[in-house]
Amino acid sequence: MSPPPVTTARPELVTEERPRRRQAWIERATSADHKSIGTLYIGAALAFLVAAVAQLVVMRTQLIVPENTLTDPEIFNRILSTFAVTGVVLFAIPLALGVFSYISPLQVGARGVAFPRLNLLSFWLFVSGGFTIFGSYLWRPTEAGFAAFPPLSESIYSNTHGVDAWIVGTFLALLGFVCFGVNMVVTLRNMRAPGMAWRRVPLFTWAANLCSYLVIVCGSVMLAALTMLFIDRNFGGVFFDPGYAGAPILYEHLAWFFFSGAFAFIVIFAAGVISDVLPAFARKPLFSHRAALGCMLAIAILGPLSWMRNMYTAPIPTAFMVAAMFLAIALTIPIGLLIYNWIATVWGGALRPRAAALYAIAAISAMTVGLAGDLAWSLIPVGWQIEHTTAAQAATTCVIVGGAVLGGFAALHYWFPKITGRMLGEGLGKAALAAILVGLYVFAAGSFLAGVKGQPTDVYKFFSGEGLDGPNLMASIGAFVMAVGALLQLGNAAHSWGRGVAVGHDPWGASSLEWFASSPPPVHNFDVVPDVRSAEPLYDIRRAIRDRSDSWQPPAPAARQETPAPEPEPEPVGGGDSGDAQGGTPVA
Amino acid sequence: MLALALAAGALALVAAPAAASVLGPRAGHSSNADDIRTAYWVAIIVAAVLVVVVHAFLIAALVRFRARRGRSPQRFTAGARAFVRPVVPLVAVVVGLFIFGIVMMSNARDVQATGPDGLNADADLLAQVNDLSIPPTARPLNINVIGQRWLWRFEYPGGRPGDRIFSYSTLTVPVDTPILLHLTSSDVTHRWFIPALGGQVDVIPGQDTATWFNADRVGTYSGQSMSFSGSGFAAMRGWVHVVTPQEYQQFIARKRAGLARAQKDVVKALGESSTTTAGAP
Repeated sequence: MSPPPVTTARPELVTEERPRRRQAWIERATSADHKSIGTLYIGAALAFLVAAVAQLVVMRTQLIVPENTLTDPEIFNRILSTFAVTGVVLFAIPLALGVFSYISPLQVGARGVAFPRLNLLSFWLFVSGGFTIFGSYLWRPTEAGFAAFPPLSESIYSNTHGVDAWIVGTFLALLGFVCFGVNMVVTLRNMRAPGMAWRRVPLFTWAANLCSYLVIVCGSVMLAALTMLFIDRNFGGVFFDPGYAGAPILYEHLAWFFFSGAFAFIVIFAAGVISDVLPAFARKPLFSHRAALGCMLAIAILGPLSWMRNMYTAPIPTAFMVAAMFLAIALTIPIGLLIYNWIATVWGGALRPRAAALYAIAAISAMTVGLAGDLAWSLIPVGWQIEHTTAAQAATTCVIVGGAVLGGFAALHYWFPKITGRMLGEGLGKAALAAILVGLYVFAAGSFLAGVKGQPTDVYKFFSGEGLDGPNLMASIGAFVMAVGALLQLGNAAHSWGRGVAVGHDPWGASSLEWFASSPPPVHNFDVVPDVRSAEPLYDIRRAIRDRSDSWQPPAPAARQETPAPEPEPEPVGGGDSGDAQGGTPVA
Repeated sequence: MLALALAAGALALVAAPAAASVLGPRAGHSSNADDIRTAYWVAIIVAAVLVVVVHAFLIAALVRFRARRGRSPQRFTAGARAFVRPVVPLVAVVVGLFIFGIVMMSNARDVQATGPDGLNADADLLAQVNDLSIPPTARPLNINVIGQRWLWRFEYPGGRPGDRIFSYSTLTVPVDTPILLHLTSSDVTHRWFIPALGGQVDVIPGQDTATWFNADRVGTYSGQSMSFSGSGFAAMRGWVHVVTPQEYQQFIARKRAGLARAQKDVVKALGESSTTTAGAP
């Protein structure tokens, strides 16, 4: 087979004018480079993770013993009411968006993004949203519950501006995400390298594409709901006021549509990470690339459309409920096939037990547990018993922590060398993984046991003598262990940022194009945009280089300069690749 | 391996009743609660089997195919046909659970008629309340439930509309009698839930919802509101006090007598005050 021409460049000329020297922080804050914005997104999301962990610890400390009076109900409710938005809108989604922004254009061989300034705007909208919500802590934040359901969030029941701050903050963040989604969708449609057909895009980029559509569709719906609520509160609207034939349940529909979309977002993000990480560490291609593309698409469609599975207790027509149940149960098929795909990818491989791979596997485990729980509650009669209890919350937590925290840290471990040129500490990373996973399961088991006995979510205290003492203590201990693990990993990342072990451009021998660029990549990403011939372009390039060096005597120096040769792996594992001069994935 | 599985199965059989009281909801005392528990156990066992199967394969893959000296990965990918094997059981699970869910949902909505020990309430015949199916022989007792922060208010049947008797927090009802609850809220959204007596149902201002139960045994069953409603939410609890029909009628008579006495007192006070206030400006 003749080697693919690796020198094909796009016709445009890359010019780098020498920029004026500005202070580093101004450069960082105003750079429209997608990699810089991605780093900002990741940093801000991890900062909000610290806030979410602190909120969780305070709430679980309050619930550690029955009838605890450590905090006031008002204080507890303020923390509770901002916790969900902190965890989902300020941590999970932006963390994923940050990695998408950094990695996806590289993966499709693009030299930038379509709307770089829109991308930058999206970050600052998100950050100002976060500051608005946490700024309200200086006065009086919202006490209206996790999604501010009316009528409780209407001005007669919540007549401070805390709810307004929550609305505006959430609105700004979601508006940012919509901007981000527009940019990413256009970038991925128009700026892929030659030959990078949709069937060949890496699954992480496919996740970026689907997630961008999800934030555009579901985020816009929530923007509408928040606007209506704001009009109700401040300008005499009656959208959700039952006294004027408004419908509180309308807001429930819209909010659950958004939260179901966010849930699907997290699952798809984690699926993208796992589908990229496992092949790299098992050193074989994904079992079926095309099936994974289809499964993720199915999750993106079924997930938000089954929003009414959260509303079985509400007065909605039976046909709608049954349809929602069908969609929610049907999610089992794409999720099950994805898991099958991942296991079959490991099967027959040689899995290197590096932290990134272990995080990915832990994410599979946690999401399996959570999604199986969700499957059980998606039966209507079971939902009547379990919805709105801490048991349902346990399943949701398993998916969100499994997807956003474990999946997010897998992504961080995997792409940290790309972002910084350094390795994220392996030992601390694995210790943190053990703490997070054990803590998560202890927390989920405790919450589950309390929930099946009927403990609702969002309670400030619970009463003794109802069999809830042990489960709540268990959930609290689990949450503390999980918090320690998360903070440990954040410390690990902060330490490795400047002092990690320096590694080469391609430490894992992966086969997608981001490893074709240097680490960290230059502003224009690629000197040469390669021609893509398969779903594993870098594998093809390595093979071409190897073929050429095997057949050419001596190798032409000019040809070598054109292609930055990937460096050999730092730790060659196994004997199979010992004779492989160029490193990377050997041919079996 | 087989012996291990058999031992695990035997252990599960022995431990099942003990585990059920920990892993399952509180015991049901109404036929709709029993349907919900049946659905719960089937769904949770299916979910547990899926989790165990996935983890068994995942762990097997990790143990068998971790990197070792001398092992090189086999680079294979699959076509569409490789997915036939996993799709078949998944589709079976999906279809089975879906049909089972519909059946158990409609079972839980079938209002059970009055039993031999129950009160033959002379309620108006109701063919349809929301999605509940009520047999013509049911003779249910209709109770209005009003959620308000952070209490439940119960209105009992009988008497003129302005003259109804009511109670707060504790609902007293006869055993073995279908009780239809008509729920609404006077402020924010609440959610009615007595785990032993059926599932949750939203209590929404400006809208009527309904649920039912038919308690099979005398006793007191507790629950609490499941929808966040502000600072007193955690204490918004409710109790259902199930008594014999005789005790129920005594309760109603006592309440009615108390109401009559209070009204008489008012009339008396009116007479007194009209004389005392006659000279007032």
